[in-house]
Amino acid sequence: MRIVVAYKWTRDPQEATVRADGTVDWSRAKPGLSAYDPVAMELARQLAETAGAELIGVTAGGKGVAAPIASKAALSRGLDRVVIVEDASLAEASRSELAAVLAEMIRHIGDVDLVITGDSSVDVAAKMVPTVLAGELGWPAVAEATSVSGKAGALRVERAIPGGVQVLEVSGPAVLAASADAAVPRVPGMKQLLAAAKKPVELLELAALKVPPSSAVMTVTGRSRPERKARKGQLIDTTDPAAAAAELVTALREAGTL
Amino acid sequence: MSVNAWIIVGDHPAIGNLITVARSLGGPLGAVVAGPRSVAEIVAASGVDKVVWCGTPDDVPAEASAQAVAETVAADPPRVLLAGRNPGERVLLGAAAAALKAAVLTGARSVSADGDGVIVVNAVFGDIAEETVAVSGPVALLLDGGPVPPPGASTAPIEEVAVTPLGLKVIETRTSGFDEVDLNEAHRVIGVGRGLKAKEDLALIEALATAISAEVACSRPVAEGLNWMGKDRYIGSSGAHIAPQLYLAIGVSGQLQHMVGVQGAEIIVAINSDPNAAVFSQTDYGLVGDLYQLVPAITAALE
Repeated sequence: MRIVVAYKWTRDPQEATVRADGTVDWSRAKPGLSAYDPVAMELARQLAETAGAELIGVTAGGKGVAAPIASKAALSRGLDRVVIVEDASLAEASRSELAAVLAEMIRHIGDVDLVITGDSSVDVAAKMVPTVLAGELGWPAVAEATSVSGKAGALRVERAIPGGVQVLEVSGPAVLAASADAAVPRVPGMKQLLAAAKKPVELLELAALKVPPSSAVMTVTGRSRPERKARKGQLIDTTDPAAAAAELVTALREAGTL
Repeated sequence: MSVNAWIIVGDHPAIGNLITVARSLGGPLGAVVAGPRSVAEIVAASGVDKVVWCGTPDDVPAEASAQAVAETVAADPPRVLLAGRNPGERVLLGAAAAALKAAVLTGARSVSADGDGVIVVNAVFGDIAEETVAVSGPVALLLDGGPVPPPGASTAPIEEVAVTPLGLKVIETRTSGFDEVDLNEAHRVIGVGRGLKAKEDLALIEALATAISAEVACSRPVAEGLNWMGKDRYIGSSGAHIAPQLYLAIGVSGQLQHMVGVQGAEIIVAINSDPNAAVFSQTDYGLVGDLYQLVPAITAALE
Protein backbone atom coordinates (compact mmCIF):
# COMPACT_ATOMS: atom_id res chain seq x y z
CA MET A 1 0.00 0.00 0.00
CA ARG A 2 1.19 3.48 -0.87
CA ILE A 3 -0.05 6.57 0.98
CA VAL A 4 0.67 10.13 -0.09
CA VAL A 5 0.42 13.17 2.18
CA ALA A 6 0.08 16.44 0.26
CA TYR A 7 1.49 19.26 2.39
CA LYS A 8 2.26 22.93 2.05
CA TRP A 9 5.30 24.98 3.06
CA THR A 10 3.99 28.48 3.59
CA ARG A 11 3.51 31.47 5.87
CA ASP A 12 0.88 32.42 8.42
CA PRO A 13 -1.18 35.56 7.58
CA GLN A 14 -1.25 36.24 11.33
CA GLU A 15 2.36 37.43 10.84
CA ALA A 16 1.65 39.43 7.68
CA THR A 17 0.56 43.03 7.37
CA VAL A 18 -1.48 44.63 4.63
CA ARG A 19 -0.26 47.88 3.14
CA ALA A 20 -2.65 50.72 2.37
CA ASP A 21 -2.61 49.74 -1.32
CA GLY A 22 -3.88 46.25 -0.44
CA THR A 23 -0.63 44.41 -1.12
CA VAL A 24 0.45 41.96 1.57
CA ASP A 25 3.78 42.37 3.34
CA TRP A 26 5.08 38.90 4.25
CA SER A 27 8.58 40.06 5.22
CA ARG A 28 8.08 39.34 8.93
CA ALA A 29 6.34 35.99 8.37
CA LYS A 30 8.56 32.92 8.66
CA PRO A 31 7.72 30.01 6.37
CA GLY A 32 6.85 26.68 7.95
CA LEU A 33 4.71 23.59 7.55
CA SER A 34 1.12 24.73 7.15
CA ALA A 35 -0.63 24.53 10.52
CA TYR A 36 -2.80 21.45 9.98
CA ASP A 37 -0.39 19.43 7.86
CA PRO A 38 1.30 17.75 10.85
CA VAL A 39 -2.15 16.36 11.74
CA ALA A 40 -2.46 14.83 8.26
CA MET A 41 1.07 13.42 8.53
CA GLU A 42 0.35 11.88 11.92
CA LEU A 43 -2.93 10.36 10.75
CA ALA A 44 -1.18 8.96 7.66
CA ARG A 45 1.76 7.67 9.67
CA GLN A 46 -0.48 5.76 12.09
CA LEU A 47 -2.26 4.11 9.15
CA ALA A 48 1.03 3.41 7.35
CA GLU A 49 2.48 1.78 10.48
CA THR A 50 -0.45 -0.57 10.99
CA ALA A 51 -0.91 -1.31 7.28
CA GLY A 52 2.81 -1.62 6.53
CA ALA A 53 2.44 1.05 3.84
CA GLU A 54 4.97 3.33 2.20
CA LEU A 55 4.38 6.98 3.16
CA ILE A 56 5.33 9.67 0.66
CA GLY A 57 5.07 13.44 1.06
CA VAL A 58 4.31 15.65 -1.93
CA THR A 59 4.37 19.40 -2.21
CA ALA A 60 4.42 21.96 -4.99
CA GLY A 61 5.09 25.65 -4.67
CA GLY A 62 7.35 28.59 -5.30
CA LYS A 63 10.89 29.23 -4.21
CA GLY A 64 11.80 27.65 -0.88
CA VAL A 65 9.56 24.57 -0.88
CA ALA A 66 12.53 22.36 -1.81
CA ALA A 67 14.92 23.97 0.69
CA PRO A 68 16.49 21.47 3.08
CA ILE A 69 14.76 23.07 6.07
CA ALA A 70 11.38 22.50 4.39
CA SER A 71 11.92 18.93 3.26
CA LYS A 72 13.44 18.00 6.64
CA ALA A 73 10.47 19.49 8.50
CA ALA A 74 8.21 17.17 6.50
CA LEU A 75 10.47 14.10 6.57
CA SER A 76 11.01 14.33 10.33
CA ARG A 77 7.31 13.64 10.78
CA GLY A 78 7.58 10.06 9.64
CA LEU A 79 7.44 10.27 5.85
CA ASP A 80 9.63 7.73 4.04
CA ARG A 81 10.44 10.12 1.20
CA VAL A 82 9.24 13.35 -0.40
CA VAL A 83 8.55 14.38 -3.99
CA ILE A 84 8.74 18.12 -4.62
CA VAL A 85 8.04 20.52 -7.47
CA GLU A 86 9.66 23.90 -6.85
CA ASP A 87 8.94 26.45 -9.54
CA ALA A 88 8.79 30.23 -9.24
CA SER A 89 5.59 30.25 -11.32
CA LEU A 90 3.79 28.30 -8.56
CA ALA A 91 4.31 30.98 -5.89
CA GLU A 92 1.00 32.55 -6.89
CA ALA A 93 -0.63 29.35 -8.16
CA SER A 94 -4.42 29.21 -7.93
CA ARG A 95 -6.27 26.37 -6.17
CA SER A 96 -7.02 24.63 -9.44
CA GLU A 97 -3.47 25.00 -10.79
CA LEU A 98 -2.01 23.58 -7.57
CA ALA A 99 -4.46 20.68 -7.60
CA ALA A 100 -3.63 19.91 -11.24
CA VAL A 101 0.12 19.85 -10.47
CA LEU A 102 -0.40 17.61 -7.42
CA ALA A 103 -2.53 15.24 -9.54
CA GLU A 104 0.30 14.86 -12.07
CA MET A 105 2.79 14.28 -9.25
CA ILE A 106 0.60 11.52 -7.85
CA ARG A 107 0.34 9.94 -11.31
CA HIS A 108 4.12 10.19 -11.59
CA ILE A 109 4.57 8.36 -8.26
CA GLY A 110 2.13 5.69 -9.44
CA ASP A 111 0.17 2.98 -7.60
CA VAL A 112 -1.02 5.45 -4.95
CA ASP A 113 -3.90 4.07 -2.87
CA LEU A 114 -4.71 7.03 -0.66
CA VAL A 115 -3.97 10.76 -0.46
CA ILE A 116 -4.34 12.53 2.87
CA THR A 117 -4.23 16.33 3.26
CA GLY A 118 -4.65 18.73 6.14
CA ASP A 119 -7.96 20.41 6.86
CA SER A 120 -6.98 23.68 5.19
CA SER A 121 -3.87 25.68 4.48
CA VAL A 122 -2.91 28.31 7.02
CA ASP A 123 -2.52 31.02 4.37
CA VAL A 124 -5.35 30.52 1.86
CA ALA A 125 -7.72 28.32 3.91
CA ALA A 126 -9.90 27.60 0.87
CA LYS A 127 -10.29 23.86 1.65
CA MET A 128 -10.60 23.25 -2.09
CA VAL A 129 -7.24 21.83 -3.22
CA PRO A 130 -7.99 18.28 -1.96
CA THR A 131 -11.41 18.24 -3.60
CA VAL A 132 -10.21 19.56 -6.98
CA LEU A 133 -7.30 17.10 -6.74
CA ALA A 134 -9.77 14.24 -6.27
CA GLY A 135 -11.71 15.51 -9.28
CA GLU A 136 -8.52 15.58 -11.37
CA LEU A 137 -7.76 11.99 -10.37
CA GLY A 138 -11.37 10.82 -10.76
CA TRP A 139 -11.30 9.58 -7.17
CA PRO A 140 -13.81 10.19 -4.39
CA ALA A 141 -12.93 12.73 -1.71
CA VAL A 142 -14.03 12.87 1.91
CA ALA A 143 -13.52 16.05 3.94
CA GLU A 144 -13.50 16.36 7.75
CA ALA A 145 -12.07 12.85 8.09
CA THR A 146 -11.49 12.10 11.78
CA SER A 147 -10.01 8.62 11.49
CA VAL A 148 -8.93 6.08 8.91
CA SER A 149 -8.11 2.38 9.25
CA GLY A 150 -7.95 -0.78 7.17
CA LYS A 151 -6.00 -1.38 3.99
CA ALA A 152 -5.96 -0.45 0.31
CA GLY A 153 -9.29 -1.21 -1.31
CA ALA A 154 -11.04 -1.67 2.04
CA LEU A 155 -10.60 1.47 4.09
CA ARG A 156 -12.85 2.50 6.92
CA VAL A 157 -13.08 6.27 7.25
CA GLU A 158 -14.90 8.23 9.93
CA ARG A 159 -15.87 11.77 9.20
CA ALA A 160 -17.51 14.51 11.18
CA ILE A 161 -21.01 15.51 10.06
CA PRO A 162 -23.31 18.08 11.71
CA GLY A 163 -24.39 16.51 14.97
CA GLY A 164 -22.25 13.41 14.77
CA VAL A 165 -19.93 11.05 12.98
CA GLN A 166 -20.45 8.96 9.87
CA VAL A 167 -18.49 5.78 9.15
CA LEU A 168 -17.73 5.19 5.47
CA GLU A 169 -16.34 2.21 3.62
CA VAL A 170 -13.95 3.29 0.87
CA SER A 171 -13.37 0.63 -1.76
CA GLY A 172 -10.84 2.29 -4.07
CA PRO A 173 -8.25 5.05 -4.15
CA ALA A 174 -9.45 8.24 -2.46
CA VAL A 175 -8.48 11.66 -1.18
CA LEU A 176 -9.11 12.44 2.49
CA ALA A 177 -8.94 15.91 4.03
CA ALA A 178 -8.28 15.30 7.71
CA SER A 179 -10.20 17.30 10.29
CA ALA A 180 -8.02 19.56 12.41
CA ASP A 181 -8.35 17.22 15.41
CA ALA A 182 -8.01 13.90 13.58
CA ALA A 183 -4.71 13.13 15.33
CA VAL A 184 -2.33 14.71 17.82
CA PRO A 185 0.96 15.22 15.98
CA ARG A 186 4.09 13.99 17.72
CA VAL A 187 6.82 16.62 17.90
CA PRO A 188 9.90 15.34 16.07
CA GLY A 189 12.95 14.87 18.27
CA MET A 190 16.66 15.01 17.44
CA LYS A 191 16.60 11.39 16.25
CA GLN A 192 13.80 12.08 13.75
CA LEU A 193 15.50 15.26 12.52
CA LEU A 194 18.79 13.42 11.94
CA ALA A 195 17.02 10.58 10.16
CA ALA A 196 15.14 13.10 8.00
CA ALA A 197 18.41 14.41 6.58
CA LYS A 198 19.16 10.97 5.12
CA LYS A 199 15.76 10.26 3.52
CA PRO A 200 15.27 10.54 -0.28
CA VAL A 201 14.10 13.83 -1.76
CA GLU A 202 12.95 13.66 -5.39
CA LEU A 203 12.78 16.94 -7.26
CA LEU A 204 10.54 17.08 -10.33
CA GLU A 205 10.56 19.72 -13.05
CA LEU A 206 7.19 21.38 -13.52
CA ALA A 207 7.61 21.35 -17.32
CA ALA A 208 8.24 17.58 -17.31
CA LEU A 209 4.87 16.91 -15.67
CA LYS A 210 2.83 18.15 -18.66
CA VAL A 211 0.10 19.65 -16.49
CA PRO A 212 -2.99 20.35 -18.61
CA PRO A 213 -3.71 24.08 -18.81
CA SER A 214 -6.62 25.74 -17.03
CA SER A 215 -9.60 26.85 -19.12
CA ALA A 216 -9.86 30.03 -17.07
CA VAL A 217 -7.59 33.04 -16.88
CA MET A 218 -7.64 35.09 -13.70
CA THR A 219 -6.28 38.62 -13.73
CA VAL A 220 -6.00 40.65 -10.55
CA THR A 221 -7.18 44.12 -11.53
CA GLY A 222 -7.23 45.70 -8.10
CA ARG A 223 -6.22 45.19 -4.50
CA SER A 224 -7.49 46.78 -1.33
CA ARG A 225 -7.23 46.61 2.40
CA PRO A 226 -10.76 45.95 3.63
CA GLU A 227 -12.27 48.66 5.78
CA ARG A 228 -12.64 47.35 9.29
CA LYS A 229 -15.53 48.57 11.37
CA ALA A 230 -14.18 51.23 13.75
CA ARG A 231 -14.26 49.90 17.31
CA LYS A 232 -14.59 52.07 20.39
CA GLY A 233 -11.72 50.33 22.18
CA GLN A 234 -13.09 51.41 25.56
CA LEU A 235 -11.70 49.61 28.60
CA ILE A 236 -14.04 49.25 31.56
CA ASP A 237 -12.39 49.36 34.99
CA THR A 238 -12.81 45.95 36.61
CA THR A 239 -11.49 46.71 40.11
CA ASP A 240 -15.03 46.12 41.31
CA PRO A 241 -16.54 43.34 39.14
CA ALA A 242 -20.13 44.26 40.04
CA ALA A 243 -19.62 47.91 39.09
CA ALA A 244 -17.88 46.86 35.86
CA ALA A 245 -20.77 44.55 35.03
CA ALA A 246 -23.30 47.29 35.69
CA GLU A 247 -21.36 49.74 33.50
CA LEU A 248 -21.19 47.24 30.63
CA VAL A 249 -24.89 46.38 30.86
CA THR A 250 -25.80 50.09 30.86
CA ALA A 251 -23.59 50.75 27.84
CA LEU A 252 -25.06 47.82 25.90
CA ARG A 253 -28.63 48.84 26.79
CA GLU A 254 -27.94 52.39 25.62
CA ALA A 255 -26.53 51.01 22.37
CA GLY A 256 -29.75 49.03 21.93
CA THR A 257 -28.06 45.64 21.78
CA LEU A 258 -29.63 44.32 24.97
CA MET B 1 -31.56 24.97 -22.75
CA SER B 2 -27.97 25.70 -21.94
CA VAL B 3 -27.37 27.27 -18.56
CA ASN B 4 -25.26 30.24 -17.53
CA ALA B 5 -24.75 28.94 -14.00
CA TRP B 6 -25.03 25.62 -12.18
CA ILE B 7 -25.70 25.45 -8.46
CA ILE B 8 -24.24 22.27 -7.00
CA VAL B 9 -26.11 20.75 -4.09
CA GLY B 10 -25.30 17.81 -1.83
CA ASP B 11 -27.36 17.21 1.30
CA HIS B 12 -27.98 20.90 2.00
CA PRO B 13 -30.80 22.73 0.20
CA ALA B 14 -29.75 25.99 1.93
CA ILE B 15 -28.97 27.77 -1.36
CA GLY B 16 -30.91 31.06 -1.08
CA ASN B 17 -27.76 33.16 -1.41
CA LEU B 18 -26.46 31.07 -4.31
CA ILE B 19 -29.70 31.67 -6.25
CA THR B 20 -29.44 35.42 -5.60
CA VAL B 21 -25.85 35.56 -6.85
CA ALA B 22 -26.54 33.36 -9.90
CA ARG B 23 -29.65 35.38 -10.85
CA SER B 24 -27.68 38.63 -10.67
CA LEU B 25 -25.49 37.29 -13.48
CA GLY B 26 -28.50 36.65 -15.73
CA GLY B 27 -29.23 33.70 -18.00
CA PRO B 28 -30.76 30.29 -17.33
CA LEU B 29 -29.91 28.70 -13.98
CA GLY B 30 -29.56 24.98 -13.40
CA ALA B 31 -29.08 22.97 -10.23
CA VAL B 32 -27.51 19.54 -9.96
CA VAL B 33 -28.38 17.69 -6.77
CA ALA B 34 -26.38 14.73 -5.45
CA GLY B 35 -28.25 14.42 -2.14
CA PRO B 36 -31.62 12.80 -1.40
CA ARG B 37 -34.65 13.22 -3.68
CA SER B 38 -36.28 15.38 -0.98
CA VAL B 39 -33.46 17.91 -1.40
CA ALA B 40 -33.94 17.90 -5.18
CA GLU B 41 -37.64 18.65 -4.65
CA ILE B 42 -36.91 21.67 -2.42
CA VAL B 43 -34.41 22.92 -5.01
CA ALA B 44 -36.89 22.38 -7.88
CA ALA B 45 -39.43 24.62 -6.12
CA SER B 46 -36.88 27.36 -5.37
CA GLY B 47 -37.02 29.19 -8.68
CA VAL B 48 -34.19 27.54 -10.62
CA ASP B 49 -34.90 26.74 -14.28
CA LYS B 50 -33.89 23.10 -14.34
CA VAL B 51 -32.85 20.41 -11.87
CA VAL B 52 -30.74 17.32 -12.48
CA TRP B 53 -30.87 14.74 -9.70
CA CYS B 54 -28.16 12.12 -9.30
CA GLY B 55 -30.20 9.39 -7.70
CA THR B 56 -28.38 6.82 -5.57
CA PRO B 57 -29.35 4.31 -2.88
CA ASP B 58 -29.66 5.61 0.70
CA ASP B 59 -26.34 4.21 1.89
CA VAL B 60 -24.38 6.11 -0.78
CA PRO B 61 -23.15 9.53 0.36
CA ALA B 62 -23.50 12.58 -1.89
CA GLU B 63 -19.74 12.63 -2.52
CA ALA B 64 -19.99 9.31 -4.38
CA SER B 65 -21.88 11.16 -7.13
CA ALA B 66 -19.02 13.63 -7.68
CA GLN B 67 -18.19 12.14 -11.07
CA ALA B 68 -21.82 12.23 -12.20
CA VAL B 69 -22.10 15.87 -11.08
CA ALA B 70 -18.92 16.71 -12.96
CA GLU B 71 -20.20 14.99 -16.13
CA THR B 72 -23.54 16.78 -15.87
CA VAL B 73 -21.98 20.25 -15.73
CA ALA B 74 -19.35 19.37 -18.37
CA ALA B 75 -22.14 18.36 -20.79
CA ASP B 76 -23.64 21.85 -20.46
CA PRO B 77 -20.67 23.99 -19.45
CA PRO B 78 -21.66 27.17 -17.62
CA ARG B 79 -19.91 30.44 -16.92
CA VAL B 80 -20.23 29.97 -13.17
CA LEU B 81 -20.48 27.06 -10.73
CA LEU B 82 -21.74 27.81 -7.23
CA ALA B 83 -21.84 25.73 -4.05
CA GLY B 84 -22.33 26.32 -0.34
CA ARG B 85 -19.63 25.92 2.29
CA ASN B 86 -20.26 22.36 3.48
CA PRO B 87 -17.80 19.46 3.29
CA GLY B 88 -19.95 17.48 0.83
CA GLU B 89 -20.64 20.46 -1.41
CA ARG B 90 -16.91 21.30 -1.45
CA VAL B 91 -16.16 17.82 -2.76
CA LEU B 92 -18.80 18.06 -5.50
CA LEU B 93 -17.67 21.55 -6.51
CA GLY B 94 -14.05 20.39 -6.65
CA ALA B 95 -14.93 17.53 -9.00
CA ALA B 96 -16.98 19.83 -11.24
CA ALA B 97 -14.24 22.48 -11.27
CA ALA B 98 -11.67 19.86 -12.24
CA ALA B 99 -13.86 18.63 -15.11
CA LEU B 100 -14.22 22.18 -16.48
CA LYS B 101 -10.62 23.18 -15.64
CA ALA B 102 -12.33 26.11 -13.94
CA ALA B 103 -10.84 28.75 -11.69
CA VAL B 104 -11.79 28.32 -8.02
CA LEU B 105 -12.49 31.23 -5.67
CA THR B 106 -13.70 30.91 -2.08
CA GLY B 107 -13.75 34.44 -0.67
CA ALA B 108 -16.17 36.22 -3.01
CA ARG B 109 -17.55 39.44 -1.54
CA SER B 110 -19.29 40.38 -4.77
CA VAL B 111 -19.71 38.80 -8.18
CA SER B 112 -20.71 40.66 -11.34
CA ALA B 113 -20.96 39.82 -15.02
CA ASP B 114 -18.45 41.45 -17.36
CA GLY B 115 -18.98 40.59 -21.00
CA ASP B 116 -18.42 36.83 -21.25
CA GLY B 117 -16.48 36.77 -17.99
CA VAL B 118 -17.10 37.67 -14.37
CA ILE B 119 -15.50 40.05 -11.93
CA VAL B 120 -15.12 38.84 -8.36
CA VAL B 121 -14.06 40.86 -5.37
CA ASN B 122 -12.34 38.12 -3.41
CA ALA B 123 -11.08 38.17 0.18
CA VAL B 124 -7.69 36.50 0.55
CA PHE B 125 -5.29 35.28 3.27
CA GLY B 126 -7.79 34.96 6.09
CA ASP B 127 -9.68 38.03 4.88
CA ILE B 128 -6.81 40.44 5.62
CA ALA B 129 -6.83 41.72 2.02
CA GLU B 130 -9.14 41.84 -0.98
CA GLU B 131 -8.40 41.34 -4.65
CA THR B 132 -10.56 42.26 -7.60
CA VAL B 133 -10.22 39.36 -10.01
CA ALA B 134 -11.36 39.38 -13.64
CA VAL B 135 -12.02 35.81 -14.75
CA SER B 136 -12.40 34.76 -18.36
CA GLY B 137 -13.48 31.16 -18.67
CA PRO B 138 -15.42 29.07 -16.15
CA VAL B 139 -15.21 29.91 -12.44
CA ALA B 140 -16.26 27.84 -9.43
CA LEU B 141 -17.37 29.86 -6.41
CA LEU B 142 -17.66 28.49 -2.88
CA LEU B 143 -20.02 30.82 -1.00
CA ASP B 144 -22.21 31.03 2.08
CA GLY B 145 -25.28 29.08 0.97
CA GLY B 146 -27.78 31.34 2.72
CA PRO B 147 -31.22 30.20 3.89
CA VAL B 148 -33.32 27.39 2.45
CA PRO B 149 -35.25 29.14 -0.33
CA PRO B 150 -39.03 29.28 0.10
CA PRO B 151 -41.13 27.52 -2.56
CA GLY B 152 -41.74 29.80 -5.54
CA ALA B 153 -44.69 30.09 -7.92
CA SER B 154 -43.47 27.39 -10.28
CA THR B 155 -41.58 24.15 -9.95
CA ALA B 156 -38.83 23.08 -12.33
CA PRO B 157 -38.95 19.52 -13.66
CA ILE B 158 -36.49 17.09 -12.09
CA GLU B 159 -34.41 15.12 -14.57
CA GLU B 160 -32.89 12.00 -13.03
CA VAL B 161 -29.51 10.77 -14.27
CA ALA B 162 -28.12 7.29 -13.68
CA VAL B 163 -25.10 7.33 -11.39
CA THR B 164 -22.27 4.85 -11.15
CA PRO B 165 -21.19 5.80 -7.64
CA LEU B 166 -17.54 6.22 -6.70
CA GLY B 167 -16.41 3.70 -4.08
CA LEU B 168 -18.00 5.17 -0.95
CA LYS B 169 -20.64 3.63 1.25
CA VAL B 170 -22.14 4.72 4.58
CA ILE B 171 -21.96 1.86 7.05
CA GLU B 172 -22.86 3.67 10.25
CA THR B 173 -24.00 7.07 11.53
CA ARG B 174 -23.52 8.04 15.16
CA THR B 175 -24.78 11.18 16.85
CA SER B 176 -22.37 13.24 18.92
CA GLY B 177 -25.00 14.46 21.35
CA PHE B 178 -24.32 18.07 20.36
CA ASP B 179 -27.31 20.08 19.13
CA GLU B 180 -27.01 21.50 15.61
CA VAL B 181 -27.05 25.27 15.40
CA ASP B 182 -27.07 28.04 12.80
CA LEU B 183 -25.10 30.84 14.45
CA ASN B 184 -26.08 33.21 11.64
CA GLU B 185 -29.60 33.33 12.98
CA ALA B 186 -28.57 34.57 16.43
CA HIS B 187 -28.74 38.27 17.28
CA ARG B 188 -26.34 37.80 20.18
CA VAL B 189 -23.47 35.36 20.36
CA ILE B 190 -21.07 34.52 23.18
CA GLY B 191 -17.75 33.10 22.03
CA VAL B 192 -15.72 31.02 24.47
CA GLY B 193 -11.98 30.58 24.16
CA ARG B 194 -9.32 28.63 25.96
CA GLY B 195 -9.51 31.01 28.90
CA LEU B 196 -12.30 28.76 30.20
CA LYS B 197 -10.60 26.16 32.37
CA ALA B 198 -13.03 23.24 32.34
CA LYS B 199 -16.01 22.00 30.38
CA GLU B 200 -18.20 22.17 33.49
CA ASP B 201 -17.55 25.93 33.58
CA LEU B 202 -19.66 26.27 30.44
CA ALA B 203 -22.56 26.42 32.91
CA LEU B 204 -21.44 29.96 33.82
CA ILE B 205 -21.46 30.93 30.16
CA GLU B 206 -24.82 29.31 29.53
CA ALA B 207 -26.38 31.19 32.43
CA LEU B 208 -25.28 34.47 30.83
CA ALA B 209 -26.40 33.26 27.40
CA THR B 210 -29.87 32.54 28.78
CA ALA B 211 -30.02 35.97 30.40
CA ILE B 212 -29.33 37.78 27.11
CA SER B 213 -30.89 35.23 24.70
CA ALA B 214 -27.55 34.46 23.07
CA GLU B 215 -26.16 31.41 21.30
CA VAL B 216 -22.92 30.01 22.69
CA ALA B 217 -20.07 29.64 20.22
CA CYS B 218 -16.33 29.18 20.57
CA SER B 219 -12.86 29.47 19.11
CA ARG B 220 -11.60 26.55 17.07
CA PRO B 221 -9.62 24.64 19.75
CA VAL B 222 -12.69 24.50 21.99
CA ALA B 223 -14.63 22.58 19.33
CA GLU B 224 -11.71 20.71 17.78
CA GLY B 225 -9.31 19.29 20.31
CA LEU B 226 -11.20 19.98 23.53
CA ASN B 227 -14.48 18.80 21.96
CA TRP B 228 -16.62 20.86 24.31
CA MET B 229 -19.01 21.88 21.54
CA GLY B 230 -20.05 20.77 18.06
CA LYS B 231 -17.90 21.89 15.16
CA ASP B 232 -20.72 24.06 13.82
CA ARG B 233 -20.20 26.33 16.84
CA TYR B 234 -16.67 27.45 16.15
CA ILE B 235 -16.10 30.88 14.66
CA GLY B 236 -13.25 31.83 12.37
CA SER B 237 -11.72 31.86 8.94
CA SER B 238 -12.50 28.20 8.34
CA GLY B 239 -15.57 28.14 10.60
CA ALA B 240 -18.64 30.34 10.99
CA HIS B 241 -18.62 33.97 9.88
CA ILE B 242 -21.26 35.84 11.86
CA ALA B 243 -22.64 39.36 12.05
CA PRO B 244 -24.73 39.52 15.22
CA GLN B 245 -25.75 42.71 17.07
CA LEU B 246 -23.52 41.68 19.95
CA TYR B 247 -20.48 39.41 20.12
CA LEU B 248 -19.14 38.74 23.59
CA ALA B 249 -15.67 37.13 23.48
CA ILE B 250 -14.88 35.40 26.77
CA GLY B 251 -11.39 34.03 27.35
CA VAL B 252 -10.64 34.46 23.64
CA SER B 253 -7.12 35.66 22.82
CA GLY B 254 -8.13 37.34 19.57
CA GLN B 255 -6.11 35.50 16.92
CA LEU B 256 -6.68 36.71 13.37
CA GLN B 257 -8.17 33.36 12.36
CA HIS B 258 -10.90 33.76 14.97
CA MET B 259 -11.59 37.49 14.72
CA VAL B 260 -12.21 37.52 10.94
CA GLY B 261 -15.32 35.50 11.71
CA VAL B 262 -16.85 38.31 13.81
CA GLN B 263 -15.81 41.40 11.83
CA GLY B 264 -19.43 41.99 10.92
CA ALA B 265 -20.63 42.17 14.55
CA GLU B 266 -22.30 45.44 15.52
CA ILE B 267 -20.66 45.54 18.96
CA ILE B 268 -17.79 43.40 20.25
CA VAL B 269 -17.13 42.97 23.97
CA ALA B 270 -14.11 41.07 25.29
CA ILE B 271 -13.30 39.63 28.69
CA ASN B 272 -9.76 38.36 29.16
CA SER B 273 -7.36 38.17 32.08
CA ASP B 274 -4.40 39.16 29.88
CA PRO B 275 -4.32 42.94 29.34
CA ASN B 276 -2.06 42.39 26.31
CA ALA B 277 -4.45 39.97 24.58
CA ALA B 278 -4.85 40.87 20.89
CA VAL B 279 -8.61 40.82 21.32
CA PHE B 280 -8.61 44.17 23.15
CA SER B 281 -7.45 46.06 20.06
CA GLN B 282 -10.52 44.81 18.18
CA THR B 283 -13.34 45.45 20.63
CA ASP B 284 -15.81 48.14 21.57
CA TYR B 285 -15.75 47.33 25.28
CA GLY B 286 -12.92 45.48 26.97
CA LEU B 287 -12.90 44.06 30.50
CA VAL B 288 -9.49 42.97 31.77
CA GLY B 289 -10.03 40.49 34.56
CA ASP B 290 -11.06 37.08 35.76
CA LEU B 291 -13.95 35.72 33.73
CA TYR B 292 -14.97 33.59 36.72
CA GLN B 293 -15.80 36.83 38.58
CA LEU B 294 -16.92 38.99 35.69
CA VAL B 295 -19.31 36.62 33.92
CA PRO B 296 -21.47 35.90 37.00
CA ALA B 297 -21.38 39.63 37.81
CA ILE B 298 -22.75 40.49 34.35
CA THR B 299 -25.43 37.80 34.65
CA ALA B 300 -26.40 39.25 38.03
CA ALA B 301 -26.42 42.82 36.69
CA LEU B 302 -28.97 41.80 34.06
CA GLU B 303 -31.50 40.65 36.64
